[in-house]
Amino acid sequence: MSNTDDKKTQQPEPLQERITPSNKEVIIIAEQSDGIIQPVTYELLGAGRDLANKLGGQLSCMVLGESLGAEVQKLVTYGADEVYVADHPELKNYRTLPYRRVIVDFLSTFELPPHIVLLGSTTTGRDLAPRIAAHFETGLTADCTELDIGPYEHTNKADPEKLGLYPGCLYAIRPSFGESLKARILGPWNNPQMATTRPGVMIPLPPDESRQGKIIPIAVNIQQEDFRLKVDEIVREITEGISITDADVLIAGGYGVNGAEGFELLKQLADCFDNASIAASRKVVDAGWIPYKYQVGQTGKTVRPKIYFACGISGAIQHRVGMNKSGTIIAINKDPDAPIFTVADHGIVGDLYQVVPELIKQLKGANVTQEEKTLV
Amino acid sequence: MSKPFDILVLIKQVPDQGAKAGINPDGTIDRAKAKRMMNPFDRYALQAALHVKKLTGGTVKALSMGPPPAAEILLEAIEHGADMGYLLSDRRLAASDTLATAYALHKLILHVSPFQMIFCGLQTTDGDTAQVGPQIAERLNLPQISYCEDFSLEGDQVKARRVIEGGYQWVHADLPCLMTVANSYHPLEYKKIRGSQKVQHLVRNENEKSKVIKTVTLDDIEADPILCGLKGSPTIVARTDKVAEIGGSCKTRQGQSVDLMVKDVLETTPVKEFLKL
Ligand SMILES: Cc1cc2nc3c(=O)[nH]c(=O)nc-3n(C[C@H](O)[C@H](O)[C@H](O)COP(=O)(O)OP(=O)(O)OC[C@H]3O[C@@H](n4cnc5c(N)ncnc54)[C@H](O)[C@@H]3O)c2cc1C
Ligand SMILES: Nc1ncnc2c1ncn2[C@@H]1O[C@H](COP(=O)(O)O)[C@@H](O)[C@H]1O
Repeated sequence: MSNTDDKKTQQPEPLQERITPSNKEVIIIAEQSDGIIQPVTYELLGAGRDLANKLGGQLSCMVLGESLGAEVQKLVTYGADEVYVADHPELKNYRTLPYRRVIVDFLSTFELPPHIVLLGSTTTGRDLAPRIAAHFETGLTADCTELDIGPYEHTNKADPEKLGLYPGCLYAIRPSFGESLKARILGPWNNPQMATTRPGVMIPLPPDESRQGKIIPIAVNIQQEDFRLKVDEIVREITEGISITDADVLIAGGYGVNGAEGFELLKQLADCFDNASIAASRKVVDAGWIPYKYQVGQTGKTVRPKIYFACGISGAIQHRVGMNKSGTIIAINKDPDAPIFTVADHGIVGDLYQVVPELIKQLKGANVTQEEKTLV
Repeated sequence: MSKPFDILVLIKQVPDQGAKAGINPDGTIDRAKAKRMMNPFDRYALQAALHVKKLTGGTVKALSMGPPPAAEILLEAIEHGADMGYLLSDRRLAASDTLATAYALHKLILHVSPFQMIFCGLQTTDGDTAQVGPQIAERLNLPQISYCEDFSLEGDQVKARRVIEGGYQWVHADLPCLMTVANSYHPLEYKKIRGSQKVQHLVRNENEKSKVIKTVTLDDIEADPILCGLKGSPTIVARTDKVAEIGGSCKTRQGQSVDLMVKDVLETTPVKEFLKL
């Protein structure tokens, strides 16, 4: 990202309209895991449909995997006009180099380049997208929360070759400087214009089984040098039992809880409520204090409880993106500068081992008075 | 035992957003006034690089691109145990986006090569894209391991654990290889006394310092200026808007007795509505 603002200087002569060659196509690179298309792909198809309509182009989806079967048709159901399928045993699990090869080869076959290529801001998308963008020497904006199409007047004379009025630019909009700013990033000089979008932000279209779309197999030519990295083992923890996504109240604990035993205290607080659960940051899951199914955040679950208690959680961005849409966020942290306070509605600066027992005490007290009320 | 390694680590100087100095009212940064620091994510990358040196011997070179003050973080890296610092500093690099930054840094890497391992931070706190590492790997045609949380060396391969949605994966890759190090990796260890002594010595002796901290320009590394800075950047920030601070309105209680703070929170939030009856 460079920092040239489009300060509108007085410009008497009108800017010349400039069109960068493209076929107006919007391509979504799908993400699958164990053969299942991931939700971020459907979200991207929703966003991509809108962009393609505004551009007057087609929406396509490219998917890589092995024997994806009925999953491929779902991409049409969710909005794709065409689906390009790369089917090969070596594409079963994501690996940077083979995926990069197939995508780069395929995108190079277009006579006019696609207008836009989008991926999810997942650990996969953020690993892959920069390599494709670097290969085509085109612009890429990470972690967008909004996408749009619109014109752009480039008036900055520092780089005269780029002056002009560009219609049909991808507006890639993302938070910056720790979420305090929203930046609109553009790159109309090269196509495809690329972006990744945050999971859980874009809205999928309602699935429509009657939609028609073409399914087109594409060539796979993986080279020996693409095997310089191998995946030995994928460890995923299966989610079962009550889900933290269903609770009204979440009592989330972080590294400040200081050990597995600390979660017993948080459970006592959760027990005060009707539909409540404990939850956790990744760091405590990694420490083995609590199972993965409780993890909130970028690589955990996105939760929206009515009340979210963050106890001893610093509030790293990867945690915040999973909980910042909760109803009322209450942060308890020793450190007044902890970033969690930037998303919290209410905060207590203090030791959770004093605050949580006091909360339980006062809530139990409240409970008693309510019981008394019902008795009266 | 493997032979000594040439290890590179890429570190960037960023504005310290924790210190309020230099943050404009509109939320942008006045780089001249802002306090500066090593990008916090790059501290994990430096730790990883120093860890490899402990295993294999060899040298750690810290590389940075930025204005002259960025030499400060190269000295800091030396205090922690790095052997040399290279600063790529050139006015023609101003306004580089990730593609142009990756181009320039890959030329710097070729300039200081050979190498077996390159470490990058996961992302920067000012650019915040996590793109520069993979884009350098693309330019250098290297395998990459992004989001690395832990790793070990096995012969001429690296075995690593990387973060994925819903868990993690174990991978192994041939060397040379580029890794981006997650903040769940081990934190940077304290400065070494010998490193601090070395830096004190260097600060007093310009001549010695220039042997350990090399400042280079685009010409020195034979980089094409057309591919750098504004000209080499396919993206620009067309506009920034301050975000209506939803959470900026946090009502924080501090310094009172715990029972009063808790009482106040319970009285001003709907928490009690969800109690078990
Ligand atoms: C690719 C990637 C994906 C990630 N995905 C996720 C994710 O999905 N979810 C997630 O949560 N993280 C995720 N992370 C990790 C994230 O960056 C942070 O490292 C993590 O969230 C930190 O956890 P924490 O807040 O519990 O620990 P810390 O950052 O160590 O914070 C502990 C906090 O507790 C406070 N504290 C300590 N003692 C007390 C006390 N007695 N009373 C009150 N406060 C106390 C401290 O002041 C501190 O603020 C991811 C990282 C990467 C690289
Ligand atoms: N100007 C720079 N100098 C040195 N390393 C950099 C620079 N910019 C980015 N990097 C490296 O690339 C990583 C990712 O940066 P970014 O893509 O800006 O989030 C950082 O953590 C650094 O390791």
